[in-house]
Amino acid sequence: MQSTTSFSDIPEAVVSVDASERSVAITLDAELYPLQAVYGAAYIFIDRCYVFVDRPQPGRYRVTLAAKQDVAEPEALRAVVGEFANELLACAWRHQITQDNRVAIETVTVQAIAGAMGEPSLDDLADFDFTDEALDDPLGIAQSWEEKHGRPAPAKAEAEAKSEEEAPA
Amino acid sequence: MSASAARELSFPRDIYAGEAIDEAVKTWSGFADFALRETDDHWIVALTPKPEYQAHARRIVGEFGNAVLGMTIDRGGAT
Repeated sequence: MQSTTSFSDIPEAVVSVDASERSVAITLDAELYPLQAVYGAAYIFIDRCYVFVDRPQPGRYRVTLAAKQDVAEPEALRAVVGEFANELLACAWRHQITQDNRVAIETVTVQAIAGAMGEPSLDDLADFDFTDEALDDPLGIAQSWEEKHGRPAPAKAEAEAKSEEEAPA
Repeated sequence: MSASAARELSFPRDIYAGEAIDEAVKTWSGFADFALRETDDHWIVALTPKPEYQAHARRIVGEFGNAVLGMTIDRGGAT
């Protein structure tokens, strides 16, 4: 026989209690609590409860927590709900902080890894391939004026002019 | 989570990884018989505890669900 009740201090639309199954079902707004936060909170309760997550309707998650051990008093299930809600909030906030600082975290991580690799050795420097074309320059912006228009380089042009002056007319 | 009959669990595909279900079924196949099917939105697992484990049906169903959830999270989520 199934007996579904609710806690007096929590709306029934949010939490429902099934005393016969020793379980509580918590309905969450997916906009407030991302799935990663739900995963995080659920994972922490796996050792104490049987946890099941589903979607009763679009934009909602429902987390069902069934106590593994016997819980005689409803207060014990109420405590599970409160602890899960706290954990969920902490996970959601950590997720938000991670999202906000993702670029900084990745930058620091890359710098740490690059620093751990150490300075290049003399052999590494000697073997460095300078012929590798690192710059793709389809418009020729990096080219000098002389290279781009086929004119002689300034030193060469100066030498040619000098030789013309010195040559007898 | 009845202790007598088969129990059907519907795992939403956007929450649970199908590979995690396959792996959990392999792990728990010694304790229950499984029948798997799928819809557009759900992986559906019909779980029937083996006769010698009927008394532990609630535990088997619950731990199977935990195993699927845990392995899904370990994989980084459903996708």
